[in-house]
Amino acid sequence: MKNLLATAFIATLVVGAPCAPAIAQSDEVNVVLFGMPYTRGLQAIADDFEAESGIKANIDVIGQDVFENRITLSFTGATGDIDVVHTPVIQVQRWVAAGWLKPITEEVDAMPGKDDILAGPLDAYLINGERWALPFMAGAGLMTYRKDLLDAAGLDVPETWEEMLEVAAAIHNEDTAAIALRAVPGQGFNMFIFPMIMRAYGGKFFEDYVNGDLTPAINSPENLEALNIYIKLLNEYAPQGAGNFNFAEVNAAAQNGQIVFAVEGTGVVSQIVNPEKSKFARETGLALPPGGPAGRSPAIAVHGLGIPASAENPDAAAKFIEWAVSTETVTKISLAQPFPDFTTGTVADNADVIAKYADVHPDFLRLRVEALDLAIGHYRPLIPEWPALGAAIGENINAAVNGLMSPEDALAAAEQEMADILGS
Amino acid sequence: MMLVLLGFAALPTLWVLILSLREQSAIFEPIWESPLAITLENFFSISRSDFPRALMNSFITAGGSTALAMLVGVPAGFALAKSRVSGKFIASWILLLLRMAPPVGFVIPLFLLYVNAGLIDTYTGLIVAYMTLTLPLIVWSMWNSFSQVPDELIEAAIMDGASLTKAFLLVALPAARPGAVAAAILGFLISWNDFFYALIISRSSTSTAPVAVMNFISFDSVDWGSIAVASMALTLPILPLMAIANRYIVQTLSGAVKG
Amino acid sequence: MIVPAVLAVGLFAIVPLAGMLALSFSDYHLIRGTNWKYGFHNFARLISDQRLLNSIYVMAVLSIFGVAAQVVIGTAVAVGLNKIVGKWRLGRVLFLLPYAVPHVAVALIWLSLFTPTLSPINAFFNLFGITVPAFLTTQNGAMFAIVVADTWTNFPFTMLIILAALQGISTELEEAAALDGATRVNTFIFITLPLLVPALLMVTLFRFIDSLKHFPMIFVITKGGPGRSTQATNFYAYVQTFQNSNVAYGAAIAVFLFVFAAVISFYVARLNQRVSS
Repeated sequence: MKNLLATAFIATLVVGAPCAPAIAQSDEVNVVLFGMPYTRGLQAIADDFEAESGIKANIDVIGQDVFENRITLSFTGATGDIDVVHTPVIQVQRWVAAGWLKPITEEVDAMPGKDDILAGPLDAYLINGERWALPFMAGAGLMTYRKDLLDAAGLDVPETWEEMLEVAAAIHNEDTAAIALRAVPGQGFNMFIFPMIMRAYGGKFFEDYVNGDLTPAINSPENLEALNIYIKLLNEYAPQGAGNFNFAEVNAAAQNGQIVFAVEGTGVVSQIVNPEKSKFARETGLALPPGGPAGRSPAIAVHGLGIPASAENPDAAAKFIEWAVSTETVTKISLAQPFPDFTTGTVADNADVIAKYADVHPDFLRLRVEALDLAIGHYRPLIPEWPALGAAIGENINAAVNGLMSPEDALAAAEQEMADILGS
Repeated sequence: MMLVLLGFAALPTLWVLILSLREQSAIFEPIWESPLAITLENFFSISRSDFPRALMNSFITAGGSTALAMLVGVPAGFALAKSRVSGKFIASWILLLLRMAPPVGFVIPLFLLYVNAGLIDTYTGLIVAYMTLTLPLIVWSMWNSFSQVPDELIEAAIMDGASLTKAFLLVALPAARPGAVAAAILGFLISWNDFFYALIISRSSTSTAPVAVMNFISFDSVDWGSIAVASMALTLPILPLMAIANRYIVQTLSGAVKG
Repeated sequence: MIVPAVLAVGLFAIVPLAGMLALSFSDYHLIRGTNWKYGFHNFARLISDQRLLNSIYVMAVLSIFGVAAQVVIGTAVAVGLNKIVGKWRLGRVLFLLPYAVPHVAVALIWLSLFTPTLSPINAFFNLFGITVPAFLTTQNGAMFAIVVADTWTNFPFTMLIILAALQGISTELEEAAALDGATRVNTFIFITLPLLVPALLMVTLFRFIDSLKHFPMIFVITKGGPGRSTQATNFYAYVQTFQNSNVAYGAAIAVFLFVFAAVISFYVARLNQRVSS
């Protein structure tokens, strides 16, 4: 009886939800995105879409944390108030597993511009043979370094993490620390950076991810070596308090000239080399992130646009997505905003775009493409449980960095927790 | 002693002021190293954004909910303090219970309830939600204030032929005025400061200022300058409000008896 | 008169609470599929959950130290302000300002003050060759930072209620004590303080209830780190609900927290009632 009552209660709430007054009109499309240069650029030219298609686009650009809470609620309540949703590749598996997205294979296949989208990011949204979103952005990991300080010390740009340790030891001093890296726990924070070292040493998350063997394999000698390097860099050659740094602190340290090296995503890198924001932009050089015995594996972050399963206007939404990733739209945004991370290939041929980013930094666009070529799509595993796994691993890694537990214990604990999350 | 405490309260505020005035490229430089690298750009850019509207929404919702909660809560506090009904303690404790549930636990049911009631992205929805926050506080602190008013005062008024309502309005309420003003201020500020309910209930058209502040933290950058300006924009409008309210907290009990 | 008050908020407060309770007995999981089977499985898991235990410790430290600091500082400021008369009375407005800053911004402000590379405090002491330690990379340091940020923004709450209570205390008693030769400290301890007890109990109760819901400070300042050593219970419930998609288990943690707060507040509230009558 109690069960019946409780079920009836929740069911009333859930089933009642879709009866809520429809917010969307048939000639309107509601778009929810979180703040980054592309989304702000898209919001600024929303009127162009209406002029072209006769459909009004209501684009809401909100903070990432606000976004994540709101879409979870809108999706669980199936409220239908969102027609186009910002879909990070790192979340798409989870959303598909929860039944929150609508497959858009047919819509994508019908788009003439489809072949212009970079294949890697495009296929990152291929799950169970269906497409679930179209990418607009692919950010990659790059390294920034202070040319002037390296030249003065007569040091070369490190090619591997091992060389990084040597260079860091040689250049680290009281005024300028050698390096800053994201360290704060989180799948998008330390777990965006640490796998670059991990994969350079041949470390992996699972026994054989590519062939579907998802037995946790984080507790390995390769990962231990990588973790020790990460710990040593942060504890001996990084600014004071680096064990709690996130991208904002890394960015500020680089812009203030407090560090020589930073390894960051292109979004942050573009701020470090931007003369309007950073005093040392002109002295800053760019390189691929260091590699190791197993090669180089720059971080990658792909973001796209998807259509919620509950969308009230999926046809207009598909039209909007097609417009949003078209060469014309992306070129406009790329010129108006600091946005070098486009996934629409032909934008890179535009002379104005080339000139703009060559002026920011001559190597920027070239290095970004190189990094993307080197990056593996499943840099962070593409499975529904990743947000939970990444958080659990990240917390243990951060505990090791700050000396709360030994690196060995941290990896063992991470492996155990991975098994718990995947098993139960 | 007071100076140390004033420093603790005011120095971080000064830090916010400095951040709000700094040029992008010098934002975290010690101010004594580059005292001239200041700009008003952060203020201009925020005035062009959606933030002023969010500030307005905060005013409407916090003001509306405080007014309503005072209207209901002050008489309730009086009843608790002066009536001899049994079970009033349990009633007030249940009211307090409403404040205790951690939002994370009930966010999904709450959202679904609001969707069903058609209250998502409405002022009414936010005002009702804020009343669940402020009403317990107002009832409890008025209970406290009214119990400091001597029973004899009210009894004397009733002996003089006043009705209970009159005794409440003309005798008890003026005597408890400092507590009432303090409760109203705190109630207003609790709603003014709320992030959680606005996150769930508001959307673009009723979004309040604390949520708008969150929007300055984006995918790969934190807009420190705008956050500092926004923090000041959230504190400055309450200054005149507080100054006015301040005048009403000074009346002491003895003064009320004489009056 | 209490009836309309309860009714006004009852619906919108109690229905979500009932929903939370129902969820806590369910198996609602966002990605694992849900059978809507009800039972005590979430609560059985709670009992042996090490992370819950750690989170209770963190919550206890943050709440006890935070609330104590807020009550002590708030009372000290209120007593100080109460003595000030004339136009300087407006100074109390200055002390109220921190309460109006949204918590997210408070957390960011203190994050920058506790980050050695950003903080003007570190830069200032560096001028004299003094290195201020990094707080956020140790458990105790990080908890200290959270307590400081929380105290900064919340002591005005205690200050204002104590100030209002002080206004209600007749000055005659204090004056009489002073005439009898009592020192100011003695007068405060033996005359003023006992009269403030109901108000002190009330602010402690309210601050304590709210402090159990500790969230934005942790979320912005430490992300629960170093490791997971500052994940208080409410933060842990968030992790389970939103990060791990386990809504039912998150709700069970929330119910535990709710019952805990209800029991403690029941006794404090009864004490309050006895003292004030």
